[in-house]
Amino acid sequence: MDIPYALTQLTGLPLASLEVGKHFYWQVGNLKLHGEVFLTSWFVIAVLLVLTVAATRNVQRVPTGLQNLMEYVLEFVRGIARDQIGEKEYRPWVPFVGTLFLFIFVSNWSGALVPWKLIHLPAGELGAPTANINTTVAFALLTSLAYFYAGFKKRGLGYFAHYVEPIPIMLPFKVIEDFTKPLSLSFRLFGNILADELVVGVFVLLVPLFVPLPMMFLGLFTSAIQALIFATLASVYIGEALEGEHHEGEEH
Amino acid sequence: MTLWTLLIAAEAAEATAEGGGLFDLDATLPLMAIQFVILVAILNVTFFKPLTAAIEGRADYIRKNRQEAEERLAKAKQLAHQYEQELADTRRQAQTVILTAEAEAQKLMASKLAEAQQEAQQQREQAQREIEAQKQAALQTLESQVDVLSQQILDKLLGSSAAR
Repeated sequence: MDIPYALTQLTGLPLASLEVGKHFYWQVGNLKLHGEVFLTSWFVIAVLLVLTVAATRNVQRVPTGLQNLMEYVLEFVRGIARDQIGEKEYRPWVPFVGTLFLFIFVSNWSGALVPWKLIHLPAGELGAPTANINTTVAFALLTSLAYFYAGFKKRGLGYFAHYVEPIPIMLPFKVIEDFTKPLSLSFRLFGNILADELVVGVFVLLVPLFVPLPMMFLGLFTSAIQALIFATLASVYIGEALEGEHHEGEEH
Repeated sequence: MTLWTLLIAAEAAEATAEGGGLFDLDATLPLMAIQFVILVAILNVTFFKPLTAAIEGRADYIRKNRQEAEERLAKAKQLAHQYEQELADTRRQAQTVILTAEAEAQKLMASKLAEAQQEAQQQREQAQREIEAQKQAALQTLESQVDVLSQQILDKLLGSSAAR
């Protein structure tokens, strides 16, 4: 079998034009940045800012229009935080959890709904910011920082006690857990969104128009679910750090 | 399978050579994190705080209004109860007044009737007495006339015989 020939055949397929793993690099000082991620994330931030500023510019007691919608959104993210962190302590965490949800949700949907691929970059291609590992790892690390901060603020150094509870042999597993939490958070989001984009991209290239459409609807659904899962898990971790060990929780 | 493995390996090698790839972590990561934290701060000011204040203010407003309405309802119920009681009292008093008035009227009627009956009795008795007196007088007159007439009859009868 002529492998080099096969390789050239395969790389000659339109699949290669998806440009997965290629980035539009910006060189700022001696920092290397992924330009396409920042471009789309600024778009997402702009959408969020326009929506929120327009909704809260003239706050009415009886909400109408955009204020009504954004109040529903706020109630929804407050619900996520309240359900996972608890009635007593959820309030300070609403902005963090809510922004996580909103940013990821708008990112995912912008990746699915905005025809980014029509804008050509010198290298790489535009897409959802959450389809880039840097974004999802950044969010996951921020979540880890958030729950460490929550635990330390609530219980000081006593927070470390949960590593050896209920028995000290749990220590290595609990340490590993602190690494797997951000890893799973970031890879779940990254993998799902990238997979969505790839599936839709491949279908668009191979069988345009009718086959990709159901996949795009499915993509909208799964990307919304991913935003919900990320925000919910972040709240769960923060809630766990605040609550401490399970036997404390059972006393309530 | 081997082909795919080779392909992926070739792509990975190419990516590493170019400095790209799916798992290319660089300064994008911390800058995204910083950007996100700034976004949290901005959204906190433009979205979370004002709308939370609006929602909670509305909830307070509704709670306060509802409480006031409940208080008013309780007050209204109390007033209605009070009025009903007053109405019942007034009715009872009115009943008493009516009963008293009826009793008084009955008493007055009875006394007036008794008076009238007495007066009528007196008048009847007086009339009877007068009738009696007149009867006596008539009888006396009649007796005297009977006497005169009997004397005259006697005189006539005896006188004629005496004359013969």
